[in-house]
Amino acid sequence: MWYAIVAAGILLCAILAVTSKKLLVSAIWLAVTSALVALMLYLLGAQQLAVIELSVGAGLVTVLFVFAINISGEEPMSLKPVMPKALAWGLVIIAVGMTIFLTLKSGVLGLTLQMPSTASMILWGNRYLDILLQIAFIFCGVLGVLGLLSDGKPEIQEEDEE
Amino acid sequence: MTNLPVPFIIVLTILGLVGVGFYCLLATRNLIKVIVALQLIIKGVFLAFVLAGNLTGMISIAQTMGLTVIVADTIVAVIGLSMAVQIRHKMGTLDTKALSSLKR
Amino acid sequence: MSSNLLIPLIIGVPWLGALIILLDKDRHEKLQHSLAVIISLAAAAAAVLLIPQTSKEVAFSVKMGSAFGNFSFVADGLGVFLTLIATIIGSLAVIFSVNYMHGEEGLGRYYAYVLFFIGAMSGLVLTSNMLLIFFFWEITALCSYGLISFHNDDPKAVRGGIKALIITSVGGVGLLAGALLLFVYTQSYDLNVFLSNPSVLPAKMLAFLGFMFLVAAAAKSAQFPFQTWLPDAMEAPSPISALIHAATMVNAGVYLLARFFPAFAGIPYWKEAVMAVGVLSAFLAAIMALFSNDLKRVLAYSTVSQLGYMFYAIGTGDVFSSQFHLFSHSIFKALLFLGAGAVIHCVGTRDMTKMGGVGKKMPYVQWMFIIGALALAGIPVLNGFWSKELILEAGAATDVKVLYWIMVFVAGLTALYTCRMVWMVFFGEPRSDYHAHRAGAAMKIALAPLAAGALVSWLSIDWFSKLLNSGSLPFHTLKALDLTEMFHEVFTLQTLIPLAVIAVGILCWFFRAKLAGITKLFGWLRYLADHSFGFEGINTGIVKATQNCAEGLRVTQTGILGLNILAVLCTIIILFSLFAIGV
Repeated sequence: MWYAIVAAGILLCAILAVTSKKLLVSAIWLAVTSALVALMLYLLGAQQLAVIELSVGAGLVTVLFVFAINISGEEPMSLKPVMPKALAWGLVIIAVGMTIFLTLKSGVLGLTLQMPSTASMILWGNRYLDILLQIAFIFCGVLGVLGLLSDGKPEIQEEDEE
Repeated sequence: MTNLPVPFIIVLTILGLVGVGFYCLLATRNLIKVIVALQLIIKGVFLAFVLAGNLTGMISIAQTMGLTVIVADTIVAVIGLSMAVQIRHKMGTLDTKALSSLKR
Repeated sequence: MSSNLLIPLIIGVPWLGALIILLDKDRHEKLQHSLAVIISLAAAAAAVLLIPQTSKEVAFSVKMGSAFGNFSFVADGLGVFLTLIATIIGSLAVIFSVNYMHGEEGLGRYYAYVLFFIGAMSGLVLTSNMLLIFFFWEITALCSYGLISFHNDDPKAVRGGIKALIITSVGGVGLLAGALLLFVYTQSYDLNVFLSNPSVLPAKMLAFLGFMFLVAAAAKSAQFPFQTWLPDAMEAPSPISALIHAATMVNAGVYLLARFFPAFAGIPYWKEAVMAVGVLSAFLAAIMALFSNDLKRVLAYSTVSQLGYMFYAIGTGDVFSSQFHLFSHSIFKALLFLGAGAVIHCVGTRDMTKMGGVGKKMPYVQWMFIIGALALAGIPVLNGFWSKELILEAGAATDVKVLYWIMVFVAGLTALYTCRMVWMVFFGEPRSDYHAHRAGAAMKIALAPLAAGALVSWLSIDWFSKLLNSGSLPFHTLKALDLTEMFHEVFTLQTLIPLAVIAVGILCWFFRAKLAGITKLFGWLRYLADHSFGFEGINTGIVKATQNCAEGLRVTQTGILGLNILAVLCTIIILFSLFAIGV
């Protein structure tokens, strides 16, 4: 029964995050969604991942969003979207419906959830390529942010001097 | 409602998250909302990984792959938001249609 | 150092170097020059160290799961020798560029492309995974395009680059089709699996694959009917013409055919098709070289012609002589192109009718160039003579004698146009007012080892045979020779015929005043040659069709996020309905 409640909560918060008019409110609902997803992960047995998702998703990313929204200022946009809302909802519901139909056909739902007692992440053993990739990613991310947030001015002055 | 099998409920959640994310991508014109939508889709994805790991008993590998996905998606959010800040600073708007300067 | 360290070094160090040189952003020119020279010399040193490690065992492998197979690299004889050529001639071209590209803009881009290319070419010949062969093939095509259109404000250069890119990529599609077909039938991308048992593919599929690979090889090596992209690619700076369009990239087609020869030899009419392609290219290109007035175009046509010899050798079944000619040709053609580059850089024009008497002002370059020209013409003692004779011997042993006689005639034509080229540039009186300064030190340093190679590289045939025949190529039966066997092969009566034809060719040039009447008779041939016998039309047609297709499809790239996501959702819906129906 807990699963159903958490699942309903996740969907509700996601829809609220998407349909709110102000950006800050969107970010807050995204944080609540992250927390509920972390709870769901914990219930499924992925405990370490749940902790990471809670701290990163509901913590780091939300703080970043709040910073970015404050720096760039709220734009009261009530612009028309590219296509009518009904069409968008319709397409999404059709796609989701087909996927549900295919999952039902595949019989994966016949399996039951297992509750492993202790299952920690295999970090270095045979997934070292993953870890290397993550390190490379973080490195590139830091470089990217430094490059994006730096001012372009000093380069132009150098060329003028030459 | 609660006598549906549990995996089915979780599959519905996953598809709901991904679907809501896609709807937001279709229907928004604000750059920061686009990043919110991406975050929602990726939450659905690693939830699916963990569900698969649970059902097949390989929860530890699923956690490792989920970690990679979280790292990647955080970096995407970081760079996306700094790009949004710079774009607002230089171009003055966050409207994706006004920003698009591809020759048509 | 073991080969599983050396191979990532040979490929990785140039790529890393390319990245570092790009990061410098053209602020320190001397740093870029010296870094490029050091890195290419390091790659060459690593390649030399790889020689004792030649074996048929997999040297370096990265597991990529069941979808892509293993990304494995094998240091066998064929791969090691081509890596040596790519890295050593690469470093000589880079040393030459220190003088040639002095003061040019965008130097970082230039060196990055060159180093990227050297790494990719080494990867192409060392790998045994067919997907990786395709991957590196396309990287070399990309670098070739980037370097041909290096002076990107010159519309002729850009056109030449795009033409080269499109035609070689059309060939690359054949390679990809081959890789995927192989996977469908054997669940593995490893080409040794294919070579050990070619009949794992049904006969029709094998024939299809064989001819697709021939098309890919012909497109890459500028053979008939794709031969017109190479002369237009001469807009590239001369070190690039020496490296890419004479010594390495265009050899990729010959490498492909040599590597897959054991699998395709049994296909009916495949060997005859290869021979026909080779002979036609050699013949048509030699005639076009005879009538051209642009120094680099003559060299480009002669490259096509010599590659035709290599294709012809593979068609007769003698893979060894084609690889030996590849070895000699890389050396003397790189020498010729670098020499031509020195002349063009110092004189300022590419048009031979405006040169003449350059030899008096640039004696060093003149002698280097003459050595290369003698090797090209097939004069005895130089390396071109030995390898060309081996090919002609192999050709004489086949049943189709007509092709052999055409190749002998082409040898004579080669001597004729070579004499013409050397005479028009270096001897006689200056035909226009040009100001020639002497070649710089780096240019001279780069030319010297190549000239030495042209004189003595045939002596290394012992070591070359050992490299190719040491058991590292388990599926190829190579007729490898050592020095005394080569002398036996070459010093027979049959050799006198081509030698006589070459002598006739040279005499024709020196008595050209007396033969002026006959020359006038061939005026119509000049017209045909200038228009590349109509093949220009085919190639321009391919290029135009591709570009129009691309323009037409540009409508779908709207850049609006909503429409792109709409496309994604519609594709998902269509795919899932197909799955639901049960396709």
